[in-house]
Order: sequence, then structure tokens, then C-alpha cells
Amino acid sequence: MMDYLILSIILLAIGFYGLLTKHDLLKIIISIELIATGASMNFVLLAPLLNKPLGEAFLILAFSTDTCVTGIVLALLVMASKKYGTSDMRKLAKLKHSQSIEKEEGRSSQISGDDA
Amino acid sequence: MILEFLTVGVILSAFLAVYLDDAVYSVAALSGTLILMAVLYSLNDAIFVAVFQLAIGVGTLAVLFLSGEMLSEKPEKKISLKGLAVAVGAALLLSVPSIFPSIEIAKAGLSSDVSFPKALWNLRAIDVVLQGLVIMTVAVGIAIVLHEKKGEE
Repeated sequence: MMDYLILSIILLAIGFYGLLTKHDLLKIIISIELIATGASMNFVLLAPLLNKPLGEAFLILAFSTDTCVTGIVLALLVMASKKYGTSDMRKLAKLKHSQSIEKEEGRSSQISGDDA
Repeated sequence: MILEFLTVGVILSAFLAVYLDDAVYSVAALSGTLILMAVLYSLNDAIFVAVFQLAIGVGTLAVLFLSGEMLSEKPEKKISLKGLAVAVGAALLLSVPSIFPSIEIAKAGLSSDVSFPKALWNLRAIDVVLQGLVIMTVAVGIAIVLHEKKGEE
């Protein structure tokens, strides 16, 4: 059983490595998939310890939750790509930052215009 | 012996899925991971889960493949053969800890008083219904968000 735990931990580690080092939204989805796979395999592979098939039932439920997460992140990817033309997290953060600065500048110029 | 090969394959393909810059290759490597995991489940006597994993994996991979091809940016520099060899070596090194304690087939649900369908439908029936509702809500929510974005454009 220990070897399956090690396999699960390695998959989790690869997923976290991807989450921390990659900036593309698609890579982030893939990393989340790997983390979910590594975590959920324990349900099946450790279920015989309890001698109950409930692990399989839980895993099937976990699969559907995982699909929901993938769907939401994919919707974010589509929205970001359409609105900003990029799926890179760093570029998206910069765009958001520059947009907020532009908004603040516009607001302050409006206030100064009102004062004059 | 086959389980050791499966374990190495799972770790290698998972590492390549994260390491490779091109989205299409990445998704192809992820498909390898999911297929090998399904084989691992079936060898552990969890046939339902293996079939479910394959069914969900095919859908997810199709969507990821399409979005990867259409939406993600192409990598600026290609990975050299040397870099790829180093990555494969690192993945093989990573898989060493999991193959040295020899993997034994653990028969899921064997000699159990509760069968899998019974566990799913008698004990977790409410969960199944709630999961269906959650999936339906998420699907409708995504459709609404994307529709609103389309309307704004």
C-alpha cells in the first residue's frame, strides 16, 4: 500500500510544481487535473484496507466534482482569451493592474475637471 | 512487473504533461496519464471506476485539446532534445521511490459484504443526486456567463 501512497504523493508534487511554475491557464488546468488524480486514486487503491467498496463510489463522485472545476477554469480561459487576447496569468495580472491605474487616473482627472 | 511499468508510465507522462510547453503535446501526455490510471484501476479490480475514468477523461481531453489548439499561445522557443532527455531522466528518477517497494494488486471490494452498486445507490444515493444538481448548475452557470460575454461583445 505504501507504494500507492508514494505514487499519489509524486503526482501531487508534479501537480504543485506545475501550479507554481507555469503561467498558462491551460497548464494550470492540467496541473489541477493531476492533483485531483493523485488525490482521488487513494479512494480506490486504499479502499481494500477498509474492505468496503465505498471508495469507488466516492471516487465516482469526486470525478464529477473534478469535471466541474475543469469546466469553470475552461470558461475562465475562454473569457480571458476573448477579452484580453492572452491566457498567460502574468500578462492578465499586468493588464488588470494597468486597467485599474487607468480607471483611477480617469477618476482623478474627472474630479479635477469638476473642481475647475 | 506490469504494475511497475504502469507506475513509471503514469509518472513520466504526468511530468511531461506539466513540463512540455506546447499545449497539444501537453494534453497528449495527460491523456497517457489518464489512460494508464484507468488500466491501473482495472488491474485493481475497480472496473466501474476505470470505465468512468476513461469516459470522463475522453470528454475532458477533447475539450482541453480543442481549447489548447485554439486559445493558448504557441511557445516562443522549442524545447531541445537534450532538455527533453533531462526531463525524462528526472521523471524516471521521480518514479524510483514508487517502484522499489514492489506494488501488489489490491483487490478493491473483494470479500466485502457491500457490493459496489449497493454502496453507490443505497448508501450514497443522495450524494449522486446532489452531484448531478451541482454539475447541472455549473453547466448552466458557464453557459450564462459565456452568453452574457457574447451579448456584451
